[in-house]
Amino acid sequence: MSVQHVHTYLVHIGKGKAGPPRIGGTTVALKDKFFDLLNNIYSRSDDECDIDITFSLSPDGKQQNPCRDLILDYLRNPTLPNGRMIAERLEKMTDNRSGLGLLFLIGGTEGKERKLVISRFPTDSAILADENQTALTVEFLERVFMKSKYSYKAVSYRGRSLEGDFWSGRATDKQINPSNGDISNYWIVEFLASEFSITPAAGTRRLAVALRDAAKKADIEVKTELAAATTLASRLKGQRLNIDEFEQRFGLSPEACAALRSELKNSKVAQERFQFDSDEFNSVIRYRSVEMSSGGILIGPSGNFDKIFQKEVVDKEKKRVRYSTEGTVVDTRLKKGL
Amino acid sequence: MSLQSEYKNRYDKVLTRLAEAIAEQVQGYLRSEPRIDRVTGRAKDIASFMDKARREENGKKKYSEPLSQIQDQIGVRIITFYTSDVTRLHDIVVKYFRPIEIKNHVPESEKEFSYFGRHFILKVPTDAISDDMDRTLVPEFFELQIKTLFQHAWSEAEHDLGYKPGTTPLTSEQKRRLAFTSAQAWGADHIFEELFRERHP
Repeated sequence: MSVQHVHTYLVHIGKGKAGPPRIGGTTVALKDKFFDLLNNIYSRSDDECDIDITFSLSPDGKQQNPCRDLILDYLRNPTLPNGRMIAERLEKMTDNRSGLGLLFLIGGTEGKERKLVISRFPTDSAILADENQTALTVEFLERVFMKSKYSYKAVSYRGRSLEGDFWSGRATDKQINPSNGDISNYWIVEFLASEFSITPAAGTRRLAVALRDAAKKADIEVKTELAAATTLASRLKGQRLNIDEFEQRFGLSPEACAALRSELKNSKVAQERFQFDSDEFNSVIRYRSVEMSSGGILIGPSGNFDKIFQKEVVDKEKKRVRYSTEGTVVDTRLKKGL
Repeated sequence: MSLQSEYKNRYDKVLTRLAEAIAEQVQGYLRSEPRIDRVTGRAKDIASFMDKARREENGKKKYSEPLSQIQDQIGVRIITFYTSDVTRLHDIVVKYFRPIEIKNHVPESEKEFSYFGRHFILKVPTDAISDDMDRTLVPEFFELQIKTLFQHAWSEAEHDLGYKPGTTPLTSEQKRRLAFTSAQAWGADHIFEELFRERHP
């Protein structure tokens, strides 16, 4: 069995509070259904945690990070008090919006590597229904902790050396791009004192260069798709996503996805999450498209669009215009009819 | 497998190619930047790695797990013209790479002259790792240095004279002469920076 120790702590709201309440905590026995649930979280963390993160350096530029230090102390000596230090750090970052949570520290070994999964279950309320042959009883339960698909958070660290490894991990945060657009920094930035392993500029540039180069080589249909996605990409400003999600969000066809993938250096980079940087994107690539009431669509690099297509106002009142361009035909395709 | 064999395996299979790929990526980010003399990438040679791995501090081995702890197995260097360029390039480096350390190397005392340079320990970018590389052999970090031409020239000569494996330690008088050359390089950098500012106000 790879899981060797599990500790759990009830983490209250402590942000801005002078003296946070002392956190209890307990050691979880490595048996029974409860352990099976946690063991499952431990095993599945490799798939569930899909955001590459790296601990931040100290403000004076040194290789020192307060959260990493606590994690290393815990890994060196995985005791209830050492785990509590991690829970207390989380409590100091927890505000009303994050609410009460149940924290699990699940440690083990896999081959020559040590592995630690830190998982936070948010609190919720529930109704317990108990039915027997004659009656149904219901009971309202507070402080129920669930692995919510909307607010579950976890992080997984692996490494061989406590001296040189454990700088990077993989996290999951279901609140990272909430519907209100307000990005949650609570788990990754504040508690874990980490950043995405790839910077916004590097991740965005990688995507922009791949789109630009794929469009240059693609046929007219794929070129049109990629140009449309490029035009709409400005809406992604500040969003956290990976290239997989970019493809899904703009509904790219399998051909367009393949064209984009062929420009990536390796198969892993499409899964790496980054924060979209509009300025960087526009510095590499920007397409402008114009759709006409006649059914025609014009697409061209934004910087040269007005040079490529000459616009002439035909009827100002009816807003009718004529676009024209001149050159040799380098590619032409027919789209199959429906 | 001995440490040397392990490192040689890593060096042969991954490090040399990875150093080239990272240097190429850095060059790409700096393509439109002025006053870049060159960008170089190198994998730390096996003798230098072993020499570093054997180092002691306070009577104990400095590195208990050298393969994880020695973070300059890959080194990239950006050579630029003026000291103000170092600051400008610093901003570009942290824009595109995730650092876990940034250090401005200057002598400890104002009365000393020795090594000057800006060093970063940066996360190896995923883009530089090709699918055929064994990821277990890929180091997590690499070192990037930004130096002026004079800082670069001084550090290369000083390393050649004093720090190559197997060389005898420098005498006190030799160290003083090296310090003198460092002071000259420092002075040259300052005069060039002043001239640059005067010519490009």
